[in-house]
Amino acid sequence: MKVLHTADWQLGKPYGRFTPELRAALTEARFDVIDTLGKAATEHSARHILVAGDIFDTEGPEDRTIVQAVSRMERHPCHWWLLPGNHDFARNGGLWDRVRAKAGDRITILTTPEPRELEDGAWLLPAPLTHRHNLDDPTEAFDTTQTPGARLRIGLAHGSIRDFGSRGETNNQIPPDRARRASLDYLALGDWHGVLKIDARTWYAGTPETDRFQNNNSGHALLVELSPGADPVVTPLRTGRFHWLIRERTVSSAADFDADCAALLSETDAPNTLLQLTLAGITDLTDRVAILAKIENDLAHRLRFLDLRDENLVGRPTENDLAALDVEGTLGIAAQKLNALSQSAGPEARIARRALERLLVEYNREDQA
Amino acid sequence: MTLRISHITVENFRKFRAPVTIDGLTDGLNILIEPNETGKSTLLEALRAAFFVRYGTKNQLTRSYAPHGDSVGPEIQVDFTIDNAPWSLTKRFLKSPSVEVTSPEGRAQGEEAESRLHTLLGSVKDTSTKGDIASWGILGLLWIGQTEALSLTAPGSLVRDTVRSILEAEVGAVLGGPAWNRVHDRVGTQYDQFWTATGKEKGKLTEARKTAEDAQTEAETAKARLQALEENFTALEQARAGLKRASRDIADETDIQTRKDLEKELEIARAAGQILATRRAEKEAATSTVKALTDLQTRHQTALKTHAATEAALTKARDKRRTLATDLVAVREKTSQTKETLEQARLAQRQTRAALAEGQKQHDALRRHKAIAAARTRYAELSRLEQELQQATALSATLIPPEILSELEKHEKRVAEAQARVTVGATRLTLSGDTAAVTFDSQPATAGEHSITRDTTIRVGNTELRLRPPASTASAEQDLSEARRKRDQALEDLGLRNLTDARLRNDKARDATAECRTLQARIDAATPADDTIALKPGPQALKLFIAGLPAEDPQPPAETPDLPALTSAVEHADTTLSKADGTHQSAIEALRRLETEDAPFAAAEAGAQSDLSNATARISELEKHPDFASLNETLAQAGKRAAESAAALEEATRNATVHDQTTIKRKIDTIDARVRTARETCRKLETEIAKLEGTIESEGGKGLAGREAAAREAVEAARAALHRVTEDAETIKLLRNTLEDARRETSARFTGPVAERMKQTISRLMPGSDLSFSEDLALDTLIRGDTSEDCTTLSRGTQEQLAILTRIAFADMLREQGLPVSLILDDPLAYSDDGRLELLIDIIADAAKRMQVILLTCRERAFRHVTANHVSLT
Repeated sequence: MKVLHTADWQLGKPYGRFTPELRAALTEARFDVIDTLGKAATEHSARHILVAGDIFDTEGPEDRTIVQAVSRMERHPCHWWLLPGNHDFARNGGLWDRVRAKAGDRITILTTPEPRELEDGAWLLPAPLTHRHNLDDPTEAFDTTQTPGARLRIGLAHGSIRDFGSRGETNNQIPPDRARRASLDYLALGDWHGVLKIDARTWYAGTPETDRFQNNNSGHALLVELSPGADPVVTPLRTGRFHWLIRERTVSSAADFDADCAALLSETDAPNTLLQLTLAGITDLTDRVAILAKIENDLAHRLRFLDLRDENLVGRPTENDLAALDVEGTLGIAAQKLNALSQSAGPEARIARRALERLLVEYNREDQA
Repeated sequence: MTLRISHITVENFRKFRAPVTIDGLTDGLNILIEPNETGKSTLLEALRAAFFVRYGTKNQLTRSYAPHGDSVGPEIQVDFTIDNAPWSLTKRFLKSPSVEVTSPEGRAQGEEAESRLHTLLGSVKDTSTKGDIASWGILGLLWIGQTEALSLTAPGSLVRDTVRSILEAEVGAVLGGPAWNRVHDRVGTQYDQFWTATGKEKGKLTEARKTAEDAQTEAETAKARLQALEENFTALEQARAGLKRASRDIADETDIQTRKDLEKELEIARAAGQILATRRAEKEAATSTVKALTDLQTRHQTALKTHAATEAALTKARDKRRTLATDLVAVREKTSQTKETLEQARLAQRQTRAALAEGQKQHDALRRHKAIAAARTRYAELSRLEQELQQATALSATLIPPEILSELEKHEKRVAEAQARVTVGATRLTLSGDTAAVTFDSQPATAGEHSITRDTTIRVGNTELRLRPPASTASAEQDLSEARRKRDQALEDLGLRNLTDARLRNDKARDATAECRTLQARIDAATPADDTIALKPGPQALKLFIAGLPAEDPQPPAETPDLPALTSAVEHADTTLSKADGTHQSAIEALRRLETEDAPFAAAEAGAQSDLSNATARISELEKHPDFASLNETLAQAGKRAAESAAALEEATRNATVHDQTTIKRKIDTIDARVRTARETCRKLETEIAKLEGTIESEGGKGLAGREAAAREAVEAARAALHRVTEDAETIKLLRNTLEDARRETSARFTGPVAERMKQTISRLMPGSDLSFSEDLALDTLIRGDTSEDCTTLSRGTQEQLAILTRIAFADMLREQGLPVSLILDDPLAYSDDGRLELLIDIIADAAKRMQVILLTCRERAFRHVTANHVSLT
């Protein structure tokens, strides 16, 4: 039996820090990925799609978000099993009542922890969350849940694995050996946004469409092939459209940076890439200006989005820079003043550095003109 | 490089229609002294035209060069040397315009000539319509027209640039320049996007801040709305739990059973309560019967007691009154006696008083009679005296006033004088002997002397002598008769014969006046006041009194009454009356005392009498009561019944207390209330739940949580944007401010040398002061001691002096750099005092050692003595 395991769609995520155009694109991609999942299921003959929580970003999304989600799902012949997570927890009169009012037969909303028979002898044990913060382990009941005549027991839950990070007590923690203890053939988990294997039978599918800068192998769904008595065969399928890359570079010259840039562009799909680029290092001011000019005038336009962090890229004016300005008399005096200030310890130093850089930019701009 | 103008000829230029020439201009100081209106300023204008205005130009300026109303070609010819090399310049405007320059390089005409001049003088093509000094280079600054030096204008950009390039070589820094201008302008533009000129936030910065604030507000609103929705969820949960509890309460079986038991108990309690009420009524009836009978008995006994007591009181009062009655009779007797005596005394007193009054009356009448008689006597006297007074008054009225008397005397005197004149002029004729035959004017003559005053015919016998006295005598005679006539007329008016009579008459009148006074005094003495008859003093009062008397006087009383005897009788009667009154008062007092003593006993007797009859009536009334006959027996029976019913009541009370209806009812009510409340709560909760569900359904559909999350992220984005913009703005601000600082510093470095050069001459003019220049090389402030003044606030004289000194300083600087300089001053120092003027002339003369100076002035006295090359217009 084949199922598609996915989670953390976080539909309706606002992306407030982006421009309206990018925001629209990212939002749309999250809806589109539902179709991608539906198609993948059809393609791989998986009749069921298990969504392990956080289908919606909030417990109160707009109606459009709900209608989009439901209508997208219903375009595909598979059955969708939706589990409320901590973002979209179940409660009376809440989100899921609204979804249920709009959903058709192919969608089952698992707001109660009763086991469901997916098909002959294959039971699904859901552990829906009923609060935003759940201190209890929602999967504890799996151990004692009766599934008469079960060939397969599949757990569906949302939360972090205990000792997952080395943080202290967190919400809805799930013990790493829950699958074994509850005799589950597979435990489909949600919450962690990347694909993660806890053990042979316990997996996080991650979000099918990446939603943040995080190096966690997101943008996938898991195709799970289950057979009684055997470990499942789990295959990650790429579903995401946008790549969210984090790059940190230490540069010493404009030439270095140009090389880095070329490499990066060659290995990515730039129009669908969002890049968080952190630059560090010390260059001369001219190089820094050149680097920033390249970023500003070229790289940023190639990518879908660029989040540049250049605070640690220190540009020091060279003797030549200053000498060039010195010839200009008054401009030279101004440059010296700014240079002196930028080397002071005060909070103005950073501003002074920027001002000096700006002065050079403006001076050179005219030079080129 | 030295520029020396040696010769100027101007023709057809403004007021110079005929050619005018200045010749013999030399190095050093040249002074041209000419009166006003001779064309000194025109001369300077002509020089400027020659050197700086393009020959082909036809504008307002060049057209103004032609003499008014003439259509000619204004022409200027100048000879000058540059470093002793001879140059010649001839320029003609408007009609056949032309220019020709002859220099060591040869001859040039037209554009080439103009361009050679620009190169030499560092000027540029002047494209203005009225002449632009700024385009004329150094000489534009140094050839100073009348009053041009009065304003401290900055030198034009050409001069500034020249001076700066000189100075840049000196101080080794670059001020401005194209790179500076471009960077400065661009930074300025960027600065404008964030900041106002005064450094306040605006534009992008304000927008970013506002966006951040708006986002914050938005987020807060979204959060509040979401929170409200969340509260609805919480409230819904609570309402549901509450409803569950309330439903449970309603279904509770215990309460239902308890209520049934309580109702049974209540029935029993009600029966016991009824019995108790009956027993209570029975006891009430028995007790009241006993009470009524006891009351009857008590009242009868009381009535008997009262009867006995009132009888005793009556007897006592009657005894006492009997004792008092005897005394009362005696005292009453006495009182009537004293009253009789008192009446008699009162009568006696009245009679004696009447007698005394009659006596008094007679006495008064007698006195009046006498007084009237006396008044009549005085009246007779008064009548006589008044008659005399009347006569005397009449006589005194004949007094002739002194002025009339004096007039009479004058008349008399005139008569005498006229008489004298007649006598003097008259002819005297003395007759002696027989005079019978002699007649004077037919009248017989007498012996003796005759005075002939008019024509007189004397006949002696038949002889007729005609005497004619002189004519003057005749007029004197006439005067005399006229005087006499006037005198006699005056006398006649007064009824007098002569003046003597008049004097006599006046004497008599004066005597009469004295007599009048005497008589008046006597009249006053004869009319005194008399109180007896109410007569006031004065004759008038007396006359009135007499007139008011009856014709006949009443008869006077026959005898004189004995007033003392009568008075004594009255006093005796008064004494007698007082005594009688005292005795009577005493008797009345005794009677009143006795009556007061008797009054209470009389009242007591009456009261007792009344009480006694009341008591008697009461007793008989009570004894008529039906129960009275067998009162004691009935009373005993009633007491027994009352005791029985009390015992029965006690028992009933005990029964009723065991089953307390109120308590049972309260318990039932409590159970009912609990059920009612639970039902009500259910209803309320159901309503609330419906309401909350409705709200959640409608609000939930709005995606509040999504919106809240979006708003929160928007806030973060806006904050980040604001941070970026702020950073940019701060950067630009710092850059711009640093640029400004750098510029100020550089400027100071540039203007310093100019100020330095001027310092020496300034200290000659105003010891201990210093100057500072603005960035455009204009004079800025004058520093004297610790105070600095804005140069534009200085006096006009000082401004002009400073302006000239500044120009000399510039000229020196430029000369040192090999530029051709020359100083022309048109009527300078008009506002200078004598001391300053001398000093300035010294300074100018000093400058003239280094360059040619041409000074045009109308002030002969001020400049005549100055050692210089004095030239004139020819």
